[in-house]
Amino acid sequence: MRKSRSKRKSNIHLQQPTVNPRDFQFMITKVAVSQICKSVGFRRSRVSALETLTLVATKYLETLVKSAASFSNAASRTQSNILDLTNALHDMSLQVGFMGASTLYDHNNNCLLKSSVLESLSDFVSSTNEIPFAKPIERAKERESEEGNAVPGSFQERGGHIPEWLPRFPDVGGTNENCDKRVYGEQLWENSSSVLGCQIDGFEEKRCGSNNVGKLPKGRSRIKFRVNNGGRTRVGLNGISCNNVFGQSKDEEEAEPVAVCEKSVKSEEKQILVYKRRKKLC
Amino acid sequence: MNHNRQSNDGKHDDDSALSDFLASLMDYTPTIPDELVEHYLAKSGFQCPDVRLIRLVAVATQKFVAEVANDALQHCKARQAAVVKDKREKQQKVISFDACF
Repeated sequence: MRKSRSKRKSNIHLQQPTVNPRDFQFMITKVAVSQICKSVGFRRSRVSALETLTLVATKYLETLVKSAASFSNAASRTQSNILDLTNALHDMSLQVGFMGASTLYDHNNNCLLKSSVLESLSDFVSSTNEIPFAKPIERAKERESEEGNAVPGSFQERGGHIPEWLPRFPDVGGTNENCDKRVYGEQLWENSSSVLGCQIDGFEEKRCGSNNVGKLPKGRSRIKFRVNNGGRTRVGLNGISCNNVFGQSKDEEEAEPVAVCEKSVKSEEKQILVYKRRKKLC
Repeated sequence: MNHNRQSNDGKHDDDSALSDFLASLMDYTPTIPDELVEHYLAKSGFQCPDVRLIRLVAVATQKFVAEVANDALQHCKARQAAVVKDKREKQQKVISFDACF
């Protein structure tokens, strides 16, 4: 028995994948897996065992998702739906077995939505207590605040894979709402009226976005920049004023400080900060 | 016609049960955070804008890990029950490499 165990261990070591246990996502998954083990009843664990279980969990997740993606690709779709996911779950659960596995591909009585795998998942959700993740997670608040300031053709509209300095796509009328609808009125099952009728507020709020569109998170004071040095022209050695780069005629320069002063007096309540550019004489 | 009616009623029941389940998923917080699941989904090429399916994947993985851990616990208990014959000692349950497989 011991020899076979050691052989088994050496085989497993040879087949070790290239996942580095120090990867960030691996560490997070390890925390989640240890929480699940604790909820089942374990109090302590060996590090190697926990890492192995975490690896198995990540492999399961990846395989489930890859098979769902391949199911959707086989149906000439890029976005997966619940039916693809159900088929993938069936594939993953065939070894363990589930009700109705023998009549999976029976043409007469087959409804993917009635699958026992989904039923057992819903029983699991209703019976087990929630175990929120141990560490607090910062939600992506930045994404929501940026959504309101989306310029057409910018990063938010067309994604990060297209550099911003490239011109916009030509408008071929694709933004018309009728283009999204199919000819015979087909739509995804998840978006059908029977499912959307059971929506709860939490789901809708997440999808609709925040109400603060285009508003700054907090008010900022108004800032004004002035380039000339308050109307004073400094004459250099050559008799040329050093502020000539941004300079104007003398009349305007004399008029400027007056205007600025009036503005500053009026707008003291609004707290306009006036920044004066100062030039050093060399 | 009757067969069609029955199948439609059956479909409606299935729809409502499953749609209730998907709605309840938004109440339930899986142990595996959504962001982590989204990372693995992106890594494997799974594209889906629907948050409920992401939660479904997280719950399925959680159920799988819970089942494995539960089976390991049963193995551990069976092993300890065989070892402890006369002495009744309380031993803390430790998950070990052998018990996982």
